Amino acid sequence: MSKSSAYSLAFMLVALLLLAAYGTGGAGTVVGLLCDGASQGLKPDEPLFKFFDLVRNGVDFEVFVLIAILSALAIGAGARPMVVLTVGSIVGFTVLTIDQSPLIRYLSLAAALFAIGLYGMVVSRNAVRVLISIELMLNAVNLNMVAFARYVDPEPLRGQLFAIFILTVAAAEAAVGLAIVLAIYRNMSTVDMEKFNLLKW
Amino acid sequence: MDQFTNLISWAQANVETTVFYSLAFLALPLAYGVVFDRVIIRSGFLLIGVFGTISGLFLLLQAQFLAMAQIMIYAVGITLVVVIALMLTNPRLEQDLSPTVAVNKVPGILTALFLFATIYFACRSEEWPVSNQLLNPDNVQVLGIQLMTNYALPFEFASVLLLAALMGAVMLAKAEPGQPEVKDELPRMEATDRSDEVVKV
Repeated sequence: MSKSSAYSLAFMLVALLLLAAYGTGGAGTVVGLLCDGASQGLKPDEPLFKFFDLVRNGVDFEVFVLIAILSALAIGAGARPMVVLTVGSIVGFTVLTIDQSPLIRYLSLAAALFAIGLYGMVVSRNAVRVLISIELMLNAVNLNMVAFARYVDPEPLRGQLFAIFILTVAAAEAAVGLAIVLAIYRNMSTVDMEKFNLLKW
Repeated sequence: MDQFTNLISWAQANVETTVFYSLAFLALPLAYGVVFDRVIIRSGFLLIGVFGTISGLFLLLQAQFLAMAQIMIYAVGITLVVVIALMLTNPRLEQDLSPTVAVNKVPGILTALFLFATIYFACRSEEWPVSNQLLNPDNVQVLGIQLMTNYALPFEFASVLLLAALMGAVMLAKAEPGQPEVKDELPRMEATDRSDEVVKV
C-alpha cells in the first residue's frame, strides 16, 4: 500500500470514529457494531456510552474545527485530497446538522453547495467551468427557496414560485453566457480566464 | 446483531432523515467532482448527478413540479448546452495547464469556508417560525393558479426575458460574415501530438 493510500485510510478511519463518537443513538449503535465482539452485553449506562454522551454535549462546532484541522494535516502529510475532502465534508456536515431541525439541515446543505460553487467560480481557469459553478450556486439558492416553502410558508407556496423564476433566469443566463464564451473563443482561440484582458487599458 | 437491528429500526422510524442524508452524501462529493475534476467534460457530466440529487431533495420537500422541472431544464437542457459548448471550445487547455488559477486558491478556500460558516451560524441562531403543516397534496394546481393570478406580471416578464435571451444567444453565437471561423495566426496553446489527432478526427 502506498503512502498516500495509507494516510487517506487513516484519516477516513479517524473521521468515521469521530462521527460515531459524536452521533446519536443510531451512530452509537454503529460503534457498538464495530466493537461487537468486545462489547457483548454492553448496556446503555456502561462507561463507553456515557463517554459518547459527554462528547456529544453541544460541541458540534468544536468537532467540526477538529475535523477541518485533521483534514489539513492529512492533505499536508500526503493523503489523497479528494478522499480527505469527501470524507471530511460528509463527517463535518453530519456533525453540524444532526442535532438541528430539518429546515436548518436543508439550509446548511445549500450553504455547503453554494460555498463549493463559489470556490469553483473564483479558482477555475476554464470559462465554461466558471459558468458550471454559477449553475451550482443558483441551484443551492433554489434548494433554499423550496425548503422555505415547505417548512416556513406552506400555504401560499411563495418559495416554489420564486424558485420557478430563478430557474427561468438561470436558463437564460446559461444560454447567453455560453454564447458569450463561444464568441470569445472564436475571436481569441482560448477560453482561459487568465487570457481575457479585453477590458484592460 | 442486536445493534444492527436497532440501526435498521432507527432508519425506518426516520425515513426523511435517512433519505436526506443519503442524498446529501451523494450531492457533496458530486459537487466536489464538478469543481475539482481535471477533465472538464467529465465535470460537465457529473453536473447531471448534482442536479439529479437536488431534484430528489425537491421531491423530499414535496415540490413535485419543481423536481420534474429541475430534471428537464437543468439536468437535460443546461447540461446539454454546457457539454456542447465544451465540445466547441478548446479541450487542449485542460491537458496542458493546471485547471485552477494558483494565485486564487488560498483566498478561494478561505472565502468559501468563511461564507459557509457565516450562513450556517446565521441560519442556526435564527428562530424560524417553522410550521409542521404538510403541503397541499395537489400543490401543482396551487402553483398554476398563483402564476395566473397574483404572479401574472412576473410570469409574462419571464417569457419576454426568455425570448430576449434566446435571440441574444443566437446573435452572439452566430459567426459574423466576413470573419474567418478560427484565426490561426493568434497565439494559442502548444498543441501536443495527441490533441492534434483528436482535432483531425
